[in-house]
Amino acid sequence: MFETRSRWARIALQALATVLVLPYLFPLIVMVKGAFAGEGWRNFQAVLEVPNFGRFFVNSIVIAVSVIVIVYVVTMLAAFGFAKLSIRFNEVYFWLLLACLTLPEVVLLTPLFATAFKLGFYDTYWAVILPLAALQVPFAVLLTRTFINGLPDELFEAARVDGANSFNGFIYLVIPLTRPIAAAVVIFTLIAAWNDYLMPLVFLQNPDLQTITLVPQFFIGQFNNDQTKILASAVITAIPEVVAYLSLQRLFERGLSAGAIK
Amino acid sequence: MTQTSTEPHRLRAGAGRAGGDRTGRRPRRPPGLPWILPALVLSVGLLYYAIGYTGYISTLDWDGVSPDPESVGAGNYTRIVHDPIFWGAVRHTVVFYVVTFVVQTFLGLLFAMLMHSRIRLAMLYKVIVFVPVVLAPAIMAPVFRHMFAPDGEFNGLLSAVGLDSLTQPWIGQTSTALPVIMFITIWEWTGVTFVLYYAAMTQIDPSVLEAARIDGAGPVRLLRSIIWPEMRGTTVALAILGAIGALKTFDVPYLVTIGGPNYATEFLGTYIYRMTIPLNHVGYGAALSVILLVVALVMAVVMNVVGRERKGG
Repeated sequence: MFETRSRWARIALQALATVLVLPYLFPLIVMVKGAFAGEGWRNFQAVLEVPNFGRFFVNSIVIAVSVIVIVYVVTMLAAFGFAKLSIRFNEVYFWLLLACLTLPEVVLLTPLFATAFKLGFYDTYWAVILPLAALQVPFAVLLTRTFINGLPDELFEAARVDGANSFNGFIYLVIPLTRPIAAAVVIFTLIAAWNDYLMPLVFLQNPDLQTITLVPQFFIGQFNNDQTKILASAVITAIPEVVAYLSLQRLFERGLSAGAIK
Repeated sequence: MTQTSTEPHRLRAGAGRAGGDRTGRRPRRPPGLPWILPALVLSVGLLYYAIGYTGYISTLDWDGVSPDPESVGAGNYTRIVHDPIFWGAVRHTVVFYVVTFVVQTFLGLLFAMLMHSRIRLAMLYKVIVFVPVVLAPAIMAPVFRHMFAPDGEFNGLLSAVGLDSLTQPWIGQTSTALPVIMFITIWEWTGVTFVLYYAAMTQIDPSVLEAARIDGAGPVRLLRSIIWPEMRGTTVALAILGAIGALKTFDVPYLVTIGGPNYATEFLGTYIYRMTIPLNHVGYGAALSVILLVVALVMAVVMNVVGRERKGG
């Protein structure tokens, strides 16, 4: 975009880019440096030796995977229905779903709290999984329906002529052909579920069920506000996310930017 | 990256066509209602149930546990209208939105243009700017508390470059707490802005830029006359996303400043939480929730309409 024909222009642009990137790097440096302050590697050792530290990861994985599976299945079925099958008042249902797009999760606190308590869901994985999935589905359906709309109708008609019912069409056409958009759905659902803080904060009181986003608070209690240990725990919990992003860069960038594509 | 770039446009092109079912030429599609039922039950069922329930609770004076709460009609709502903390939260949300959106748009555009300019280490720079998007705000919160503490790294950095006079307790005073929250949010989300602008820029025909350059257009002129107008769709989408995000703000102010000091970083999300859970004013929290919901819906509709009009015109 910028011209880089002269050597000075190139150097100036490089300098500008570097200066602009540094503030993004700075907090990460603070995090790592703080985690090694004082006792160095011993900070990490102390964090890893806390009994049940692994539980936080297991819980986050269980919750994220469950949310992803639910969102994927429900979204694929619905997007296919909306895009390629006949539904009376199609648009009404679709807009009912779309209205949920803007819903801030904090609005759900009281009713879900009261209901989860009554039904015995409180302090179980389900109290977190179900609302998270419900909040992700509208956007996932919007994206996927748009994508399936772009697939030619003739494809599905040809399959029908050949004797395939909707279910066959779904399994043999929709599932394989929607892979690109499904990847985006999986990624943004993963990040939404993995990074969510409010739902676990309110609905998971049992430490054996708590997720990694509650780790910093747990350690503030555990280590009597010893900053180095808290930062070490932040580094450890951030590592899986960074590794996942680095190994699937393009998918993550596309999936997380999908939020702006409407 | 080229592959990434084709996607938004294809998707947006499809999005304009509401409902694939209106052609009318193909009447014999199989019934689809059972297919959408699971989604409707899960999302529409659960979320509308919750909204309805919230609406009901918002008419009560309830602490969340007492068996027969007193009904106060619209009492909670009239109290909200006269609640300075509520109006403070609204003001913070507006300021927060305007500042974060403008700064992110500026930085995102600049990064995208720089990365399209044959910069060395572009891949590494991109990763550094995008990593914050992936990291959980809840996990980064202690890092920022540490960094902006009176004896933290940020003041250390200021001293190191000779700006001792600027060192201050950043999150401990009302004047700088909100800017810190905005800084963290910008840090977190510029990656998305950047990636979207970067993708949109690959759609610009290089020969158009070249022609403009031959005609003597400098970088600023190029940006204003060619690049910025081409980016409009992306900018509108980011504006809507940012506005919804601003209304949803919770994690960062709750974890970094607890809405304080003296409510200086109170947002609607943190205020609802404070009212509902620690203070047990469940009815009041519900009324705040209803207001937040209405504002979010109205805003989404308005921005969509405005965005679409501009795109059409």
